[in-house]
Amino acid sequence: MNNGNGRRLNGETEEDDDDEGSEGDLDAWERTYADERSWESLQEDESGLLRPVDNTTLYHAQYRRRIRSLSSQATTARIQKGLIRYLYIVVDLSRAAAEMDYRPSRMAVVAKHVEAFIREFFDQNPLSQLGLVTIKDGIAHCLTDLGGSPESHVKALMGKLECSGESSLQNALDLVHGYLNQIPSYGHREVLILYSALSTCDPGDILETIQKCKKSKMRCSVIGISAEIFICKHLCQETGGSYSVAMDESHFKELILEHAPPPPAIAEFAIANLIKMGFPQRAAESSIAICSCHKEAKVGGGYTCPRCKARVCELPTECRICGLTLISSPHLARSYHHLFPIVPFDEVSPSVLNDPHNRLPRSCFGCQQSFPNPGNKPSLRVACPKCKQHFCLDCDIYIHESLHNCPGCESFRHSKSPIATEE
Amino acid sequence: MKFQIEDVTVYFPYDHIYPEQYAYMVELKRALDARGHCLLEMPTGTGKTIALLSLITSYTLSKPNNPVKLIYCTRTVHEMEKTLAELKLLHAYQTIHIGDRARILAVGLSSRKNLCVNSRVLAAENRDSVDASCRRLTASWVRVAAAANPNLPTCEFFEEYEKAGSNAVLPPGVYTLQDLRAYGKEKGWCPYFLARHMVQFANVVVYSYQYLLDPKVAGYISKEMQKESVVVFDEAHNIDNVCIEALSVSVRRQTLEGARRNLNKMRQEIEKFKATDAGRLRAEYNRLVEGLAQRGNLPFTDNWLSNPALPDDILKEAVPGNIRRAEHFLHVLRRLVQYLEGRLETDNVEKEGPVGFVASINTHAGIDQKTLKFCYDRLHSLMLTLEITDTDEFLHIQTICDFATLVGTYTRGFSIIIEPFDERMPHIPDPVLQLSCHDASLAIKPVFDRFQSVVITSGTLSPIDLYPRLLNFHPVVSRSFTMSLTRDCICPMVLTRGSDQLPVSTKFDMRSDLGVVRNYGRLLLEMASVVPDGIVCFFVSYSYMDGIVNSWNENGILKEIMQHKLVFIETQDVVETTLALDNYRKACDCGRGAIFFSVARGKVAEGIDFDRHYGRLVIMFGVPFQYTLSKILLARLEYLRDTFQIKEGDFLTFDALRQAAQCVGRVIRSKADYGMMIFADKRYSRHDKRSKLPGWILSHLRDAHLNLSTDMALHIAREFLRKMAQPYDRAGGSGRKTLLSQEDVEKMGDGILNEMQY
Ligand code: SF4
Ligand SMILES: [Zn+2]
Ligand SMILES: [Zn+2]
Ligand SMILES: [Zn+2]
Ligand SMILES: [Zn+2]
Repeated sequence: MNNGNGRRLNGETEEDDDDEGSEGDLDAWERTYADERSWESLQEDESGLLRPVDNTTLYHAQYRRRIRSLSSQATTARIQKGLIRYLYIVVDLSRAAAEMDYRPSRMAVVAKHVEAFIREFFDQNPLSQLGLVTIKDGIAHCLTDLGGSPESHVKALMGKLECSGESSLQNALDLVHGYLNQIPSYGHREVLILYSALSTCDPGDILETIQKCKKSKMRCSVIGISAEIFICKHLCQETGGSYSVAMDESHFKELILEHAPPPPAIAEFAIANLIKMGFPQRAAESSIAICSCHKEAKVGGGYTCPRCKARVCELPTECRICGLTLISSPHLARSYHHLFPIVPFDEVSPSVLNDPHNRLPRSCFGCQQSFPNPGNKPSLRVACPKCKQHFCLDCDIYIHESLHNCPGCESFRHSKSPIATEE
Repeated sequence: MKFQIEDVTVYFPYDHIYPEQYAYMVELKRALDARGHCLLEMPTGTGKTIALLSLITSYTLSKPNNPVKLIYCTRTVHEMEKTLAELKLLHAYQTIHIGDRARILAVGLSSRKNLCVNSRVLAAENRDSVDASCRRLTASWVRVAAAANPNLPTCEFFEEYEKAGSNAVLPPGVYTLQDLRAYGKEKGWCPYFLARHMVQFANVVVYSYQYLLDPKVAGYISKEMQKESVVVFDEAHNIDNVCIEALSVSVRRQTLEGARRNLNKMRQEIEKFKATDAGRLRAEYNRLVEGLAQRGNLPFTDNWLSNPALPDDILKEAVPGNIRRAEHFLHVLRRLVQYLEGRLETDNVEKEGPVGFVASINTHAGIDQKTLKFCYDRLHSLMLTLEITDTDEFLHIQTICDFATLVGTYTRGFSIIIEPFDERMPHIPDPVLQLSCHDASLAIKPVFDRFQSVVITSGTLSPIDLYPRLLNFHPVVSRSFTMSLTRDCICPMVLTRGSDQLPVSTKFDMRSDLGVVRNYGRLLLEMASVVPDGIVCFFVSYSYMDGIVNSWNENGILKEIMQHKLVFIETQDVVETTLALDNYRKACDCGRGAIFFSVARGKVAEGIDFDRHYGRLVIMFGVPFQYTLSKILLARLEYLRDTFQIKEGDFLTFDALRQAAQCVGRVIRSKADYGMMIFADKRYSRHDKRSKLPGWILSHLRDAHLNLSTDMALHIAREFLRKMAQPYDRAGGSGRKTLLSQEDVEKMGDGILNEMQY
C-alpha cells in the first residue's frame, strides 16, 4: 500500500501532464493517416481531444512489471532454467496477415522480426532447436523441421511470404503437437504463435486440443497482432505460456524478443539431466571438405565434429552423422547468465530526488547523459541496489535484456581486483 | 473491512471498496436517516448490490431498538439468487465479527414454479398450471375429502408442513431459493408455503417486483409487512412500465370466448351444488352480506390473488345486492361479456375514458360502477364456493373481472382503447380492447405511502429528475455516481455517417433508404473484421431487424459478414432465442467469433449480459423510439403532458435513450472488463438526445467521438482494442485511486464523496 500512497500524492500533477501533452498528440493521429486520405474536417474538431499514447512510460512500466515478476520467481526458489528448448514458431499467414495497419503489411513485419528473433534465439539458447509452421487457408504447414541453423529457417520463411484464407489454431496446434511429442524428455516443448487473425475456423473441438497440449507439457505462447482473443488467452493460461498483444511494430519486436531468453522450467522437468555435447574445432583456413549440412564442398571455415569428424558449417547444431550436439564454448558461457540473472534496479523515489540534502549523480552511469530535471515528473532514473549507481531508463532495459552485467558493479570490481573475470 | 459512516459501523465483506460504493452508502444512509425515499444511479459492475446490503444490514445492527426490515425487489429469479448469495457472504462476514448479534433471517420468495418440490406438480409447464396443480392437491375442500378417502391425492409436503403447525419455522440464516428447496426436502415441508409464512418474520425478504407492485399479488403476500421497512427496487429503470403494466388489461376475442366457456362451466357447477349442497351457496350469500373482509378467515391455501384495486375500505363494504346470489352474478358477467363483444365489433379505433365507459356500460348493460368494482372479489368468492381448483382454466373470466374492477375503481389515469386491427397489419382483423393505465404512480403509490424508505436504483436512471415526476414522489436524495476506473475501459462512440460520408439514421424517412441500409451493413462488416470474439447488435424493432437483415442478405453483405463471424438472431420465440444465445456463446468461446442480432426492449436487451469476450462491441442501430403511432402511447403522452407537464418529446427521448443505454450497458458488467459502444444514428450527436444518456457513459464520450464516420470508428476501435489488450494494474497505479482499503476510507472520509458525484 505504501507504494500506492506515494503515487497517489503525485496523482494530480500527473493528470495535468496529460492535458498539456494532448496537443502533441495530433502527431500520433496524423502519423497513422500519413498516407491515407486526408481528414481536414476531422482535424478541426479533433484538436487536443485525443489523448496521447505516451509509449515510452507505458513501455517502461511494462518492462518493470516483467522484470519484477521474473525476479520474484527467481528469489522464491532456486529454479532451473530450461536451457535446451524445442520451439516451434507458428506464423499465421491467413487473410488477416495481409492487412496494412502495419507497414508495409502485417506479414512483412512479422517476418522481419521473426528473422531477428531466430538469430537472437540461437544466440541466447545455443543448445536449442527451432522449427517453423505456417497457417494458411485453414491448414497448417510445416515450413522447416526442428533444427539449429538460423539461416535455413530464415530462408524458408522469406520464400513463403504470401497469405490467404482462414486461420486455424487447432490445426496448427495439432501439427506441432505431433512433432513436439516425439522430442526427448529433457527438452522443453514450446510453441510461439504469431497470430494475425481474429478468429479461428477449426475442424473440431479446439478446447480438447488445448487440453492435449497441456497434457504433453507444451508451453504455448501467443503474440496477437491486432486484439485480444479469448481462445488465445485461454490457450496460454492453460499451457502456462504468455499472451500479449502488440501495439505497434516496435512493441511487437519487444514482445517477440521477450521469448528469446529461456522461460522458467516447468516444475516436472526440473530433473537434472546430463547431456553429451561436443566442442568442435574450427577447421584450418585452407582445408577442403564436404560439409554434412549442405552436401557441398567448402574451402576453409566450418567445424569438425569431435566424434565422427564430419564437417559442419555452423554452430550450434546437431551433427548430421552421429547426432552429437555440437556447440562452441562461448555459446555455452553466454547461456549462463540465465542462471545468474542480474537483480532488478530500484526506482529512485521522487521524495529522494526532491530532497536538497541528497547529492545525486547528475548523469547516467551507463551512457553519461545527464538526467532531466526531476521537477514533478515521476522518477526517470533507477539505481542498482548493489553498486548504488544511477542509470537512465534506456540503460536499465539494455543492461537487463542485453548486457546482463551491471557496468557499475563491474567497474567497481575491476578497480578492486585488476583480474578481469570472464563471463 | 469495517468502517464508520457517521454513527453506523458498516461491515463490508471485502478487503477493498470502490470509492463510488462508499459514496453510495453515505447517500443511502442519509436517506434512511431522513426516513425518506431516494433515487440512486450507479453503473453496473460497481458492486451496487453489496453496497446496499452492507449498509442496510449494518444500519439495522447499529440501531437495535428500531430494526428496519429490508424488502429487496429484483426483476428476475436469477438476480434474486445472486442477491441472496451476496447477502450470504456478507452475513458470514458479520457473524465472524460480531457473532450471534448478526443473526438474521433472509428468505427469497418466488412462485410455486420455482419453489415447489413435489415432482408430480413440477411436471406442469408454466406458472399458472403449477399453481393450479398445487391447488388441486392442497385446497381445503380437497384435503377434507382426502381425509375421508385416502385414495385421493394430496401433497405430502403440505400435509407435513401443516402437521408441524407452529413448529414449522425457518431457523435464522440466509436462504436462497435453492436452499429453501433443499431445506423443504430435508424436513418434508413445502418450501413455498414455508417461505410465504416466514416472509412476515424475516429481516430480509428478496422477491420480485410484482409482489409489491401488482396489487393482485401484493394483497396477500405483502400485506403483513411492517412500516419500518426499506424497500429496494433494483435495476429499476423500467419501473414505470412495470407499474402501468400491473394495472393494464387487454381483452381480445379469444378472451371473451374463453370467458363464455368459463361462465357455462360455472353455471353447471352452480346447478350441481344446488342439487347436492345448497347450504354452501347460502353460506356464501350470508358472508357476502357482511362484506369481503371476511375473506381473511379463509384457510390460507385457498387464499386468492386479491382485489386489483387498492382501496381498503372496499373490503369493509357489503357486496352489492344484485351480485350476492351466484346466479345473479353470472348474469351480470354474461351481460358484461356481451357488451364487450359488441364493443369489439367496430371498424374504427375508439378511445374513451373510464368514466364514459362505465356510463355506457350502465346504459347498455345495466351494470353500475359499484357492481363493476366488486367483480374481481365476487368472482373469487364464487370460485372458492364452487371449489374450483383448476384455476388455470379460468384465466379468461378472471381477466374480464380484473378489467371490470379496474374500470369501476379508477376515474382518471386510464383510457380504454379499442382497435379493430394492428396498425402495422391492417388487413388482418384482430380487434382488441385495452384498458391501459397511463399513470405509473397509481400502482406504486401505496408502496411509497406505506413504507418508511423506498430506494430506487439502477445503472441507468438518467435523467434522474424525471423519475420523481413519473412516479409522483419526492425523494430526499437523488444522486448519480460515476464509475472509478483504472483505465478507460469503455469506449462509446457516436457514428453519424457511413464510409461514404452520407448520414445514417433510422428516422422514418430514412429508414428504407438503401444507402443507409448499405452503410449500416458495411459498418457491421468492417467492425466484424477488427473486433475479436463477440459483437452484439441492437435494432429498433423486430420488423426493422427483419427488413434490414433481409436486404443485407440480398445484397451479399450478410454473406461477407459471415466470413468473419457466425450470425445469430433473437426471435420472439423464447426457446429459439435461448438456443441461439447458447450457440452464440459457444462460438465466442471457441474462437470462431459471432454476432448476435437483437432488439431493443426485447428479452435479450433487458436480461442477458454480454460481458467479457461475449461482447467486445455493441452497436445500437438507430434510436429505439417507441412505436409513436400506437394509440396507447399517444394516450399516455397526452396524460403525461396534462397531468405532470412532461412534454411528449421529452418523454419519448428519455424513454428511447434509456433503452439504448440499457442495450449498450450489457457489455460492461465489471471493471476488469472492456468494451466499445457504437451509437449508429446521426440523431445521437444532438445534444438533447445525447445528454439523456447516463453520466457514466457520457463521461467517457469524448467530443472527438461525437461525429464519426465508419472508417474513423474503425480506426478508433483498432487502437482501443490494442490498448485494452495490454496488461494493467488493477489497483490503479497511475495516480487514480480506485480501490480503497480500510485505512484509506478512514483517512479520506468525505473527501471521496465529492469526487464521485456529478
Ligand atoms: S404444497 Fe408445496 S410442494 Fe406441495 S404441490 Fe404445492 S407448492 Fe408443491
Ligand atoms: Zn554446410
Ligand atoms: Zn558427429
Ligand atoms: Zn544511460
Ligand atoms: Zn551495479
